[in-house]
Amino acid sequence: MKRVFAFFIFLVSMVSLVLPPLNAYSEEKTDSTAAPAESRLAMAYLCSSDSVILTATLSIKKGESTLALENASIEFTVSTGADSKFLGKAMTNQEGIAVCSFPYTGLPAGTDGMISYTARFTGSDKYPGAESSFHAKPAKIRLSFSIEDSLRILKVTATQKNEKGEEVAIPGETVLIYVPRLFSLLKIGEIALDAKGSGTLEFPKAIVGDTLGNLVVMAKIEEHDKFGFVLGKNTINWGVHKQYYKAEVPSRELWTPIAPLWMIITLLIMLAGVWAHYMYAVYELVMIKRLSKKDKPLF
Amino acid sequence: MELQQKNPLKEFAPQLERTSIQGYAWILFLLMVIGVGVYAFLQQVIHGHEVTGMRDNVVWGVYIVNFIFFMGVSYAGALISGTLHLFKTAWRKPIIRMAEFITIIALLIGPCFILLCIGRLDKLHYLVIFGRIQSPITWDVIAISTDIFGCFIFLYLSLLRDLATLRDYELLQLPNWRKKIYKALALGYTGTPEQQERLNRATDIMAAMVIAIAIIVYSVLAWIFSVTLQPGWHSTIFGPYFVIAAVYSGSAVLILCMWVFRKVYHLEEYITKKHFVSVGVIMLVLAAFFGYFTFSDYLTKWYGSEKNDELLIQLLFKKFYWPFIISNYVGVLLPLLVVGIAKFRTITNITLTSIVVVIALWLNRYIIVVPTLESPYLPIQDSRPEWLNYSATWVEWSLTATGVAVFCLLFTLASKFINIVPVTGLQKEEKKEDILV
Repeated sequence: MKRVFAFFIFLVSMVSLVLPPLNAYSEEKTDSTAAPAESRLAMAYLCSSDSVILTATLSIKKGESTLALENASIEFTVSTGADSKFLGKAMTNQEGIAVCSFPYTGLPAGTDGMISYTARFTGSDKYPGAESSFHAKPAKIRLSFSIEDSLRILKVTATQKNEKGEEVAIPGETVLIYVPRLFSLLKIGEIALDAKGSGTLEFPKAIVGDTLGNLVVMAKIEEHDKFGFVLGKNTINWGVHKQYYKAEVPSRELWTPIAPLWMIITLLIMLAGVWAHYMYAVYELVMIKRLSKKDKPLF
Repeated sequence: MELQQKNPLKEFAPQLERTSIQGYAWILFLLMVIGVGVYAFLQQVIHGHEVTGMRDNVVWGVYIVNFIFFMGVSYAGALISGTLHLFKTAWRKPIIRMAEFITIIALLIGPCFILLCIGRLDKLHYLVIFGRIQSPITWDVIAISTDIFGCFIFLYLSLLRDLATLRDYELLQLPNWRKKIYKALALGYTGTPEQQERLNRATDIMAAMVIAIAIIVYSVLAWIFSVTLQPGWHSTIFGPYFVIAAVYSGSAVLILCMWVFRKVYHLEEYITKKHFVSVGVIMLVLAAFFGYFTFSDYLTKWYGSEKNDELLIQLLFKKFYWPFIISNYVGVLLPLLVVGIAKFRTITNITLTSIVVVIALWLNRYIIVVPTLESPYLPIQDSRPEWLNYSATWVEWSLTATGVAVFCLLFTLASKFINIVPVTGLQKEEKKEDILV
């Protein structure tokens, strides 16, 4: 008996050695939360029509993981030297993104026309503050459409404002032309602007639009040292008309709520066959039970 | 009366009446392993699946491997017991009940691993409420539940004669509640010609049914993989390949069970070398088929040179080199050598080979599931390296060990409830020469 008892003790000891401590995971959590948190704020700039859209993304780096911070207040300001003008506040969403949109006319600019934008997170009890800046000069891209010799021509004109507030051309830059698709932008060409800030592109014919053939066409100057990101867009019905497939009702594809008929029939035949045999076996058992009342035991 | 009037249970009564100290120690050990598993399960419930190695890319891991493995073992038990019964194989009697128990016990454990893999068990009933017939998951739910009913009926029909024997054997020293259970379950069977005729008919029909269902159900499990366009899974031979692999692994598990019960219950007179060699030959044939299917599957993938198949094969020969070699080379060649060459054909060698086959077939399922998920067609946005490289955690290993422990425990308890060797029509194995032995 002593040997058996000793064997049990040995078994319990071995298993308890293998068993991790009850608070193993909570300790791990505590260690990760003990690491100092670092706030990171990134700002994206886009000048579209007469507006500027500032997008600030706030994230918290804690240990090796980076998490978006939701419901944080981000302040947007514009400044020139010592002067500073408050543009507005926005709260971050689930992805830590806060967006601020405003017209760029009347904003304080430097002598070269550059405007300095700042996004600021003032911080909280748990997380330190963070700041991000971007400098750019407002610009504008206009799109116009014409048909010349049965060719579809897209004309793009890019302008900026001079010291007097007059619109002047942006010469020599490259403008990228896109058409938005379901997941991303489809690039259809590039236009090099001439001295008048204008350029043309023969518009392709085989791009699918909506059911009316409408297409949104976008012209962009990207990652420019002076203008940053500038966007102009317009709509034209030069697309191929989209045709929707009208399925028969009720549809029986794999992805519809109703399964294909052949599948239902096959399943029913198989299940009926199998369960009929089961029922027969159970019936035989019932009959064996009924027959027992007449008979005597085996031994 | 079909049963012999002398007490056929005399030799098996001690197994049912008493449990030795070693037996209690064994059960306690199994319960301790299960206890660790319960603790691991609680960790998973409290902390979620982050305590496992599964992440956004590799969403299936050891749990699914165990599910496939246990279901395979179960279907193998059904196929082997059903086939032996239908063909009235002369040597089947001492081992057929083990095969039947393997079927039921593995069938109860396998689906539990699916439940461990599902994140939101509170929404499990949605499978019934919102299940779509087009979904392979729904096919699997229907197939497994149908299979469980069929296997239970088949097992019950097979047990009926022995339940009647246990009911009527007065010298058996058992508590009254157990005798009452035997009486209730025996359904008043006394072995009259009409009862025998009905029982034989029902058993024959169910034997044929469990074979058919096992093939269909395991094919359905294979189709869950093969209907998807994943590299390594999208294969037309996956259905038969899975069935062969299942029966192969099940035959190895059956040999292990035979060896264990032969030793523990001293069944040397009933389970002889002939039985080991006979099941070993089944294992040999299945090893050859398994090797053929494996080679055929990988050859066509390799020769096709499709980009993602090539990447997968590279992964198998680099990161998963040893699992690949053990499962597809050692696991195939060893039974061919050990059972195929008469000199090596001993009980110990066949049993050791079975252990290797069980490990090899488990690894086979692992290299089917994990490497494919580690080489996805579409990269996930913001994916991290640790999401692409699966490594099972102690929680998964504990629950795997628990699955094995529950299998052993249920087998032990089942052998305590009813004799592991059917006594009806049983004859001791005579020592005679056989071409294979």
